[in-house]
Amino acid sequence: MNKTLLLASTLVAILILSGCGAAEPTIDDTAGDDKKTEVPTDVQTESVGSDDIVVGEETGASSDNAKTNDTSMSALENKMNPIYFDYDKFKIKTSQEDSLYSNVKMVNGDAKNFMIKIEGNCDEWGSDEYNYALGLKRANAVKSALITQNVKAGRITMVSYGESSPVCNDKTQKCWSKNRRVDFKLLP
Amino acid sequence: MKVIFISILFSLVALASDATIEVIKQSQRMPSLAVEDSTDSYDKSLNKKFFKAIVSDLKVLSIFNVSNTYVKNDFDDDVDVINMKKDIVIKYSLEDNDGSTNVNLKIIRGKKAIFQKRYKINRTSLYIFVAHSMAYDINKVFGSNDVAWMKRKVVISRLVGRGESEIVLTDYTLTYQHVVVRGGLNVFPKFLNNKQNEIVYTNLSGLRPTLFKLDTLSGKSQKLLTSDGLLICSDISDDGKEALLSMAPNGQSDIYKYNFYTKKLKRITKYKGIDVNAQFMDGNTIAFVSNRLGYPNVFQKNLDNNEVDQMVYYGKSNSACSAHNEYLVYKARESKNAFSANTFNLHLISTKSDFVRRLTASGVNDFPRFSKDGRAVLFIKNYKNQSAIGVIRLEYNKNYLFPLNIGKIQSMDW
Repeated sequence: MNKTLLLASTLVAILILSGCGAAEPTIDDTAGDDKKTEVPTDVQTESVGSDDIVVGEETGASSDNAKTNDTSMSALENKMNPIYFDYDKFKIKTSQEDSLYSNVKMVNGDAKNFMIKIEGNCDEWGSDEYNYALGLKRANAVKSALITQNVKAGRITMVSYGESSPVCNDKTQKCWSKNRRVDFKLLP
Repeated sequence: MKVIFISILFSLVALASDATIEVIKQSQRMPSLAVEDSTDSYDKSLNKKFFKAIVSDLKVLSIFNVSNTYVKNDFDDDVDVINMKKDIVIKYSLEDNDGSTNVNLKIIRGKKAIFQKRYKINRTSLYIFVAHSMAYDINKVFGSNDVAWMKRKVVISRLVGRGESEIVLTDYTLTYQHVVVRGGLNVFPKFLNNKQNEIVYTNLSGLRPTLFKLDTLSGKSQKLLTSDGLLICSDISDDGKEALLSMAPNGQSDIYKYNFYTKKLKRITKYKGIDVNAQFMDGNTIAFVSNRLGYPNVFQKNLDNNEVDQMVYYGKSNSACSAHNEYLVYKARESKNAFSANTFNLHLISTKSDFVRRLTASGVNDFPRFSKDGRAVLFIKNYKNQSAIGVIRLEYNKNYLFPLNIGKIQSMDW
């Protein structure tokens, strides 16, 4: 990028930063003659949204039973270890096997009555679909490992959060390595 | 001799219609242009905002040498003495009209008014759309290539916390912002139709990823599909009838085609690795990202058979793409070190030529999206802790950036 273009881009970016509004946009946009201003007669209306549109979160994960078991479920969940992965990889490393088997022991023991949600995560290098698919491959690798340890497939659901659920936001390799992980969550 | 001449002529014609290499050559001196504010009495803060908005829009047109100097002058007077030597002067005035706002535009060239128009908005928060409409009209008056994309809405997913994002309706400069979905993790919004009054998006807060459809005018929301693991709407056909989805009902991400009317779902790819980010191309062909060579790259597939062809031969990690007819813009990692500063750039290729045109020069440039007419590309740029929308004017080889003041842009559509 040459200096002129860089300067122009920067200037435009600075100029553009201004206030935001939350309202229903409507533009009436009509052309006049070359030299006379005409009051619009043919009104075009462009609508974007309205003030009162806010769609709430819909989750399938909460129920009365979940509330009852919440304390013990959360306590168990906190004892579960994240499983970490290398950059652009979804193979479970030897160094993570102890963490995984500790989780397996809990899933087949104290947490045997709960569903298991396996959450795949990635570092910030990309917000594209591929990153989400990579997170899923990591989750799927962990799911396969659980099944080989006699955890029933029907107890397991998976989701990938891509780069959207980081535990660390620093711009360092150590931080990014903490985000390339699979988390275990328990569901009633 | 005649054969050589015809060959050269043919080559020139062929090359001239190829956007991967065609850039409009501008003369050394673009017409000079100044903007004069003719508003009598109105909200002064809006007045200044409007001046900045129209000046920046005129710069994005890339056909004028636009002055930044703020000048006040009566609408019906001659141009201000400071602008006497400018080739073109734009005058505007804001006025209250029983609660709504009128914006008057006059284009003056050589002391002669060559165009006038009045715009009307019912809420001042919409002023940026008037600026875009004015820039669109000014561009049209001077006969430059269409910039209808400038007036389109943009929908973004904005990350506001860990595992929390909002769906926001905005414009290409991120000036207007209106949250339409709040609560939980909502990602990959897409406009469902050309009217841009319906969107689809993925909610990741429930037991399984769920695809929702939302009418942004009425607020009516409808659950469309649920799948374990992954469910993303990657692209929607121009007629709004079909979508290409990335889905993983068995833990394996593949491409599916979904019909919004018949609700039929058809699996398009069956590969043990990663297949995502499918895009409709011309004819019956799709482009998509796959790791079938051991790293992410872009491939194409005819929907009538099982043949898959590699599309991109340049770049180390080509993990995102957007298609428009025979053109493809894709993201590529260019450095060997995956974590170096100059990491991801966007490139343009055509299925009808071998040229590769680099569209960005530095930083992490992600999530390219062609405009409906293929003349511009919108993309996400993340640099240090700043997230921005960038617009690339393919015809002029110019990029403009518009930073987001709060949060990080996860994905977008326009």
